[in-house]
Amino acid sequence: MSVEAKVKQIIIEQLGVSEEEVKNEASFVEDLGADSLDLTELIMAMEEEFGVEIDDDDAQKILKVQDAYDYIAKQQ
Amino acid sequence: MSFPTLKIGDVVANTPIIQGGMGVGISLSNLASAVANEGGIGVIAGAMIGMAEPDVGKNPMEANIRAMRKEIRKAKEMTKGVLGVNIMVALTNFADLVKTSLDEKIDVIFSGAGLPMDLPAYLKEYYEEHKEKAHTKLVPIVSSARAAKILCKKWAAKYDYLPDAFVVEGPKAGGHLGFKADQLEDPDFALEKVVSEVIDTVKEFEAKSGKSIPVIAAGGIYSGEDIKKFIDMGAAGVQMGTRFVATDECDADDRFKQAYVDAKKEDVTVIKSPVGLPGRALKNKFVEDSRKGLKKPFKCPFECIHNCAHEQSPYCIAAALLNAKKGNLSRGFAFSGTNVHRIKEIVPVKKLIDSLRNEFVSTTK
Repeated sequence: MSVEAKVKQIIIEQLGVSEEEVKNEASFVEDLGADSLDLTELIMAMEEEFGVEIDDDDAQKILKVQDAYDYIAKQQ
Repeated sequence: MSFPTLKIGDVVANTPIIQGGMGVGISLSNLASAVANEGGIGVIAGAMIGMAEPDVGKNPMEANIRAMRKEIRKAKEMTKGVLGVNIMVALTNFADLVKTSLDEKIDVIFSGAGLPMDLPAYLKEYYEEHKEKAHTKLVPIVSSARAAKILCKKWAAKYDYLPDAFVVEGPKAGGHLGFKADQLEDPDFALEKVVSEVIDTVKEFEAKSGKSIPVIAAGGIYSGEDIKKFIDMGAAGVQMGTRFVATDECDADDRFKQAYVDAKKEDVTVIKSPVGLPGRALKNKFVEDSRKGLKKPFKCPFECIHNCAHEQSPYCIAAALLNAKKGNLSRGFAFSGTNVHRIKEIVPVKKLIDSLRNEFVSTTK
């Protein structure tokens, strides 16, 4: 599975949304209905899956689906 | 059965009651030490604690640190019992107040209004620097099992540390609430339910680590019967706020306390606080006027809280709460819990705790 597909899978599982909803430009809060706990869990799930540590400042900048793809791709 | 002791690591309170931190300035050294003297845990509220310092307008950062130090020292002079501070994650001076409290060897730091994700970092840094065995206990305040789990996982992974206890604050609490307005009456979010979920959640981490993580119930707890109910459910203790306001020792002005005595059930309302959370408070003209949009946006001197939309806010929440603390309820309002209307008189802390103990004991049969 590609990195992007893995991240997408995590988003689907953590936020309980459908695959079609997870568009690259979708905002976690506005489009996917995430609250602050959802976002924290999402970040933690990505940390676990990819063995990276995402510090708070970086986490604050992950607002859209594409941001998450880009961040993880950069870390790999 | 009399009251069980509340053990948070090696910190032991003979009365399993924590007096919840109440800002601005409602629980300071006087109330906290009185509660500690009765065997409970007395808690100093950190929010805008420096408001009485003469230089708070010019130099809020230093004024707050100085006042925190002063209040902890004053409380320690008045009691040998267990003392805590409450430092909200949302405060812009969170780090300063945490470091100051560690330096003053406070027994417990309670922290809510957000997830205190990096709280153990300060503890580790302080004790590594001072080469001592850590004394201060770290107790997050949460409103869901999800939040408890996130903190356990994150603290364990990043700091090899688990919370020393959790306070679970339910939807009936006073002041800022960790729920959405429509969840407040929803039985799915009732305190009984959330407490048992948090107890289940921490079990997994207790089993793995061998560390015990007591769970403390809070929000709407009023009588010794209530305390008994939560202890029987597996809680290690309770946190109470509202009842401690109506005590001689409470640090608020008498007019603030009298507002509690006078309050009727229908006076309790939920406001939309400028900091973006719902907050339970006593209705008055100030509250009504701000709802009607009669209050004007203001200039913010402190920037005390992250995410405070002060440009759009009809009033400053810190100033409104501080005015209320000083008894000027026409220029502010009082936060309060759901059961405030049951309060009929102002009593000494000793009398309150004795009556809670008696109720607790007579329920145990």
